[in-house]
Amino acid sequence: MAPEQITLYTAKVCPYAQRTEIALAEAGALFKRYEIDLTNKPEWYAPKVNRASKVPAIAYGGPDVAPENPSPESTKLAESLILVEFIADLYPSSNILPTDPVLRAKARFFIEVVSTKFSPNFMKFVSGNPEGTHTAILTGVDAIQDILPDGAKYAVGDQFTIADIAFVPFWARLNLLVQKGIGAYTDEERKNFLKALEDPKYAKFNGYVQRLLERESFKSTFHADVVEGIFTKRFGFAK
Amino acid sequence: MSEQLTLYLHKVSPFSQKIQLALAEANAPYRAYQVNLRNKPEWFTSKLNPVGQVPVLTYGGPNVNPEDPSSLSAKIVESNVILEFLADLYPNSGLLPKDPVLRAKVRFFIDATMKHVEGTYLAFVQGNESFDNVLKAIEFIQELLEEGRNFAVGDHYTIADACISPHLARLKIVTETDIGNFPAGMGYRLGEELEGPRFAKFKKYAQRMLDRPGFQQTHDEEAIIGYFKRRFTNRIQ
Repeated sequence: MAPEQITLYTAKVCPYAQRTEIALAEAGALFKRYEIDLTNKPEWYAPKVNRASKVPAIAYGGPDVAPENPSPESTKLAESLILVEFIADLYPSSNILPTDPVLRAKARFFIEVVSTKFSPNFMKFVSGNPEGTHTAILTGVDAIQDILPDGAKYAVGDQFTIADIAFVPFWARLNLLVQKGIGAYTDEERKNFLKALEDPKYAKFNGYVQRLLERESFKSTFHADVVEGIFTKRFGFAK
Repeated sequence: MSEQLTLYLHKVSPFSQKIQLALAEANAPYRAYQVNLRNKPEWFTSKLNPVGQVPVLTYGGPNVNPEDPSSLSAKIVESNVILEFLADLYPNSGLLPKDPVLRAKVRFFIDATMKHVEGTYLAFVQGNESFDNVLKAIEFIQELLEEGRNFAVGDHYTIADACISPHLARLKIVTETDIGNFPAGMGYRLGEELEGPRFAKFKKYAQRMLDRPGFQQTHDEEAIIGYFKRRFTNRIQ
C-alpha cells in the first residue's frame, strides 16, 4: 500500500529538520517540501500545522493541497526523532532501522547519547553560553566515541541508521562553523577544540564523522551557504 | 521467545515500573531483581550500567544468577529505549500499534510525558516551582487524550500508557499525602484543582491506568511514601 501524501515543513538552517530530510532521502520518498522562515513564521503555521511553532513538522494524508493551506484532514506530526521513526515505519525498504531488536535498541541508545551529551553543548558553544566550552563539546565527542563499534562504518554497524541521521546534522554544523570561525566562542576555544580533535585517540570518531559527511542523503540536504549566512548574521565571528 | 529477560529494578523507581507495566501487558516472562541503590553492588556498575541506574534489562545469553550477569547478554538501558525494545520483541502485543501514524502518536505522547510531566512534577515536589506548570503539563496531555477512549492512543494499552502511569501514581500520592518540599497544603491544593471539571478527562484516564491489575501488582505505595518522606524533608515556608 503506497503511503499517502507527505508535506514536510522544514528550514535549511535547522539541524532537527535536516534529520527528517535525510530520512526521506534515504527512503526515496516523494514529498512536498515547504521552507519556513524561522525569523518570520507564517501566521497560519502554528494554528494549522504545529502548535509549538517549530520545524520540522509533517502533514500526512488528506487531500492534495498547497502547503500554505494545510487541510484539517491531514494528520499533523512533529518532533524530529519521531518523524524519522515514522518515515522508517512508512518505508521499511529505506533500511534506516536495523531489523534486529537489539541493534535497534543500540541505535536508540546512541540517539539518547547524542541528545543528552552532544546537541545541547553544540548550541551552547556556538551561542557563547559560558557553559559551552570546548571541553563540554569534547565530553559529547568522548561519549559518542565510547559507543562507536570497532571496525564498522556507522553508529551501530555497517548500516546507515536513524542513529547516524540523528547525529550528522549537528556534527556538520559544528564542524562547518568551527572551520570558518563563525560563532560567539573565542578564537582560543576554537583552536583548543580543533587541536584536541587532532589527537590520535579520536581516530575512530574522526573516521566516523568523515563517512557521515560523505553520505549522499546528507550532502543533498545540507545547505552550507545558508547555515553559514544565518549563523554569521546571528553570532558573528570568533574573537 | 526463548531468550531470557532479566529486569534490574527498584520498587520506588517510576522508570523501573514503566518497564514492569509493559512486560505485564505483553505477558512476557522475565526475572525481576531489585538492586540496592543505596549500596550499589560492584557488579552492577561494572557489568550492567556504569551510570549505576535502574532500570537495566538483560536479554539473551545463558541463564545465570542475576548477581552474576553474563557478558553474553545484551544490556539495555534508558527506560524509553527499553520500552521500544519490548515493543519490537513483542510486535503482536499491541505495545506499539502497527499503523505508522498511531506509532508516531504513541511516541509523541511519550515525548510529551517526558518534556512536560516529568520535569514539572519534580520541580513542584522539590519545592522549586509552584504547581502551575504541572497543571499546564496535564492540560497538554489531556488534549492528546481522545474522548471516549480508554487508552492514551488507540484501543489498546501501549508503551505510552506504561510511560505515564508511574508518574500519575506519584502525583496522586503527593495530592493525597501533601508530602513534598512545597509549602504545606500545596499538595492538597493541587489535588483539589485536579478534581475540577477542567481535568475530568484526565482524571478518568488516570484512574483507569491506576486500576489496572498490571499496575496494582507492581505498585508499592508504602515503599514510595516511605521514600518520599525520607527524600523531601526541606519544606519551603
